[in-house]
Amino acid sequence: MTLAVVGVSHHTAPVEARERFAFGNAEAIRALGGLREEAGVREAVLVSTCNRTELYFHPAADPAALEAGVAVLRNKAEGVEGSADRYLYQKQGLDSVRHLYAVSAGLDSMVLGEAEIQGQVKDAYELAMRVPVQPSMAGPVLNRLFQTALSVGGRVRSETTIGQGAASVASVAVELAGKIFGSLKSRRALILGAGANAELVAEALTRHGVRGILVANRTHERAVDMAERLEGAAIPYDDVPSRLEEVDILVTSTAAPHAVLSLEAVRGALPQARGRTLLIMDLAIPRDVEPVIGSEPNVFLYNVDDLREIVDDTLDRRKAVLPVAERIIEDEVEAFRRWYAGRQVVPLICSLRDRWDGVRDEELQWLWQRLGHLSPDDREMVERFSERLLGKLLHEPTVRLREGVANGRVADFVDAVRYLHDLDPPGLDLAKDEDEDPAEPEPESLTESDET
Amino acid sequence: MIHYVALLLYISALTLWVRSFLEGGRGRMAPVAFGIAAAGVAAHTVALARFTMLHGELPLVGLAPSLSTLALVIGVGLLATIGLGEVRRVGIVLIPLVILMEGLAVVIGVQPAEGALDFQGAWFAFHVTLAFAGFGGMAVAFSAAVLYLLQFSTLKAKRLGLAFRFLPPLATLDRLGRIGLVAGLITLTLGLALGWAWTVRFRHSFEQTDPKVIWGILTWVVFVVALAVRGRGSQHERRGALATVVGFAVVVVSYVLLRLATSTGGFFL
Repeated sequence: MTLAVVGVSHHTAPVEARERFAFGNAEAIRALGGLREEAGVREAVLVSTCNRTELYFHPAADPAALEAGVAVLRNKAEGVEGSADRYLYQKQGLDSVRHLYAVSAGLDSMVLGEAEIQGQVKDAYELAMRVPVQPSMAGPVLNRLFQTALSVGGRVRSETTIGQGAASVASVAVELAGKIFGSLKSRRALILGAGANAELVAEALTRHGVRGILVANRTHERAVDMAERLEGAAIPYDDVPSRLEEVDILVTSTAAPHAVLSLEAVRGALPQARGRTLLIMDLAIPRDVEPVIGSEPNVFLYNVDDLREIVDDTLDRRKAVLPVAERIIEDEVEAFRRWYAGRQVVPLICSLRDRWDGVRDEELQWLWQRLGHLSPDDREMVERFSERLLGKLLHEPTVRLREGVANGRVADFVDAVRYLHDLDPPGLDLAKDEDEDPAEPEPESLTESDET
Repeated sequence: MIHYVALLLYISALTLWVRSFLEGGRGRMAPVAFGIAAAGVAAHTVALARFTMLHGELPLVGLAPSLSTLALVIGVGLLATIGLGEVRRVGIVLIPLVILMEGLAVVIGVQPAEGALDFQGAWFAFHVTLAFAGFGGMAVAFSAAVLYLLQFSTLKAKRLGLAFRFLPPLATLDRLGRIGLVAGLITLTLGLALGWAWTVRFRHSFEQTDPKVIWGILTWVVFVVALAVRGRGSQHERRGALATVVGFAVVVVSYVLLRLATSTGGFFL
């Protein structure tokens, strides 16, 4: 199989190296176009995300093509510390298919099972189709590869629990808030402490509908900056206890050496008689919130260990279904192998069809000389009959031929077909790939009624 | 025969709901369970319609017909959640109630009562239907409250397992419980008022010691208390859920006790 991938990912390179390999859309289009023009690569797709840059191309049997693929990434990462090559990996043939399927299913992601990668694979495939060359860089082989990769990703996610549960602190926060409050659209949040983790959680909450986020920090300017980024409002640090009653979600991440939120403050803000629900996520170490607050009837308190434990549980559950996901991928890799192997007989099938089409034409000419009285409609009917008969006769042998080749009996089948049908030239160039992939001749029923 | 079909469909729906629970609500199992439950309600409706045509009376008088009708009303209560997404998962609590009542009715035999009530006709039909609708509202509120308490304890214990994933959000369950109680209280109040008005008009008396009257008023009080405990807005959600569960238990236990303590001649109570 003359298919390859060359790339760099979070497995092989730190972020400062990965960012040197990252392609913008315009750069990717230029690089792919260059591969066609300069190296004659027929098909190529470039996947570039924050965790990976991978170039899939076909055919890659020629070492020059492979070198051209490597050069695309090497040139992009020019100036990366050390040599760019030390971060690169290559996979060929079925390994590259297996790799893309695993990538699309999220099995190769930094956060196992994350779903965003599937959209990024789809974007990369669509970007390749936008490269202004003819025929498209996403030709028949990569078209098939990426289409199946997307469906494999979907299959793995629907048939396993690989994508279930929250796998980051921010997504746990959103999931918890959702299970407590339902829709987050009318909910308000207060961020106490302008730390990076709190901001990530706040951003995730904002994405899910929380509006008017309040931010408080010892250094008020930092609170103002974060509030601007979140389209919220900064409040003075000392106002926090009195503003607690306005919010449903409290995220704390101050650098204070002791708890900054006492039970009295919470009780003062949420008198038990009012029975209001408050979700508190304490991301600080040491903790900002007195643990006893979690015992209040309508307060749900999660500290950073609780949240990490939830994330770890999720990842453990995802790891547990890895064997199932890998089995699905193996099934699909095998399906791709069969499809690809079937492509090897495309030239033979074309010859076979041409051969018998020629015979059909000759026989029709013979018939027209003897049935000169036939009307044009009748002639057309006879012609259609001959096409359908030929289609039906060739359908089964063509299907069997593809199956036989997929099962590894290429030489036997090809020789037999050539011999039996007197096809030239003898032998078959198995390395040759055909862009035209003829379908099996139509197995139309000869007995069905048809419009005339 | 059709009652058995309905029962079988209800049991199938429950099985799928349990499987959906064990899968954390993933996949299409829960919607399919709801669809099968809906088919069960349809079969159940046909069964009771057939009873009405065969016997020339609504299935509201004898114990078995009444239980079966009550089960149907609860099933219809479940169907009312059709457009509410995850809320439909209250079926995992509602359907066992339906199975229990319909199962009891089938075991007893869904036949007309031997005696005859003097309170009959359209007034009676409205009275019983409204009262049963009230009980159906309470059953929906009870289901929502059970799931609320389960989700609440899951969140408090920080065990985000199957229950966490399967169950709807707390706020949603609280809202459903409140709607069930309010709707149930309104229909029960109308049902009781109709019964009272008929008794006063045609019997010129009101038997305060009648088990039906005692049970009806007790149920009404349970509704009022459960709603009062909730307060307004989102206050006291958990306390409200607890009150609903306890209230539902009080209603069921008092029914059983009254039934054991009184000779009902094959009537509902």
